Amino acid sequence: MGKVIVITSGKGGVGKTTSTANLGTALAMIGKTVVLVDADIGLRNLDVVMGLESRVVFTSMDVIEKNCDLDKALVKDRRVEQLVLLAASQRNRKDDIKPEQMQDICERLKEIYDFVFVDSPAGIEQGFHNAAAGAEEAIIITTPDVSAIRDADRIIGLLQNQNIEPINLIINRLSPALVKKGNMISKNDVLDILNIDLLGVIPEDTGVIASTNRGIPLVHNDGSPGAEAYMRIARRMTGQRIPIPEMRDDNFFSKLLTWFSRNQ
Amino acid sequence: MDFRKLFTRKTKSNNIATQRLQLILKQDRFEVGEDSMKKLQYELTEVLSKYFEFTMNSVNMSLKQEGNSYVLIADFPFSESKNL
Ligand SMILES: Nc1ncnc2c1ncn2[C@@H]1O[C@H](COP(=O)(O)OP(=O)(O)OP(=O)(O)O)[C@@H](O)[C@H]1O
Ligand SMILES: [Mg+2]
Repeated sequence: MGKVIVITSGKGGVGKTTSTANLGTALAMIGKTVVLVDADIGLRNLDVVMGLESRVVFTSMDVIEKNCDLDKALVKDRRVEQLVLLAASQRNRKDDIKPEQMQDICERLKEIYDFVFVDSPAGIEQGFHNAAAGAEEAIIITTPDVSAIRDADRIIGLLQNQNIEPINLIINRLSPALVKKGNMISKNDVLDILNIDLLGVIPEDTGVIASTNRGIPLVHNDGSPGAEAYMRIARRMTGQRIPIPEMRDDNFFSKLLTWFSRNQ
Repeated sequence: MDFRKLFTRKTKSNNIATQRLQLILKQDRFEVGEDSMKKLQYELTEVLSKYFEFTMNSVNMSLKQEGNSYVLIADFPFSESKNL
């Protein structure tokens, strides 16, 4: 029996879909069976980020309306074994689906897959509630800025009321150079404020954009800092004890600054 | 001479952000808490009604902020006690 994990944030555009695609792919690469469920009905994106859009025939709405069986609606990723996607309907609205229907789909999927990841839409309305309905655990994605952290705090409160536990955190788009200069909220400050466990930190990585353009999740292209960060999180999620490294800032200018202050 | 000072004239913006967030979240959590207060008041009244007779609509509960902590103030004026 697998587990259902909702990936959510409150604020839009902080990296929920990117993280769902990469964590799912990473876990499949290390041998887990994974299904990614797009719960962003009407604004689906996960199929595009995964590069599977041309092969989507049925959606979760077709499963609910009994137009097809659940396993027929699952699109196989051809690059990794045991990784599938359940796409969201693009012609429906968030409230066309009921929490119980979402819950039912998740229950059935977790009997087959080790990990059921649900990519939540932004906001705290019906779409979010549907995404969380079938989940037993949550991963909060935030970027290190005031608005995203504020919204994350609100979402954490809502999830705690639904007894979703554990709720873990991924800090996305952290720029070590900016933190060092004092122009970005640091990892430790985010943790102090939100007070939940940290699963990992994903650096700002320009590779994410190219990978989205190509429809190939970043983790396929190992070596990039973002890919490595996602791989470490995936290993952590399978119970391996992988420490969270302090992010080094390899920017030339800041190296120079450190050198100066050491040698004065 | 500290070379770092050359590049950091103003208060670091991350410190400002963290301070603002702490204030914003205090307010947010307080507002969300008010909903839970209504529920708590209802449940407390239910339990206390086993022992006291309350005059209608006299129950009053509030949360006050004192420095860094909160104080729960509850007024349950009763007309009669039962089973005591
Ligand atoms: N670590 C990163 N480095 C650089 N760019 C990133 C990173 N993570 C995400 N992005 C970019 O941010 C944008 C938003 O990402 P994404 O679609 O994953 O967010 P989302 O939370 O799913 O958004 P929505 O709320 O609209 O569903 C994308 O253009 C993506 O390429
Ligand atoms: Mg998204």
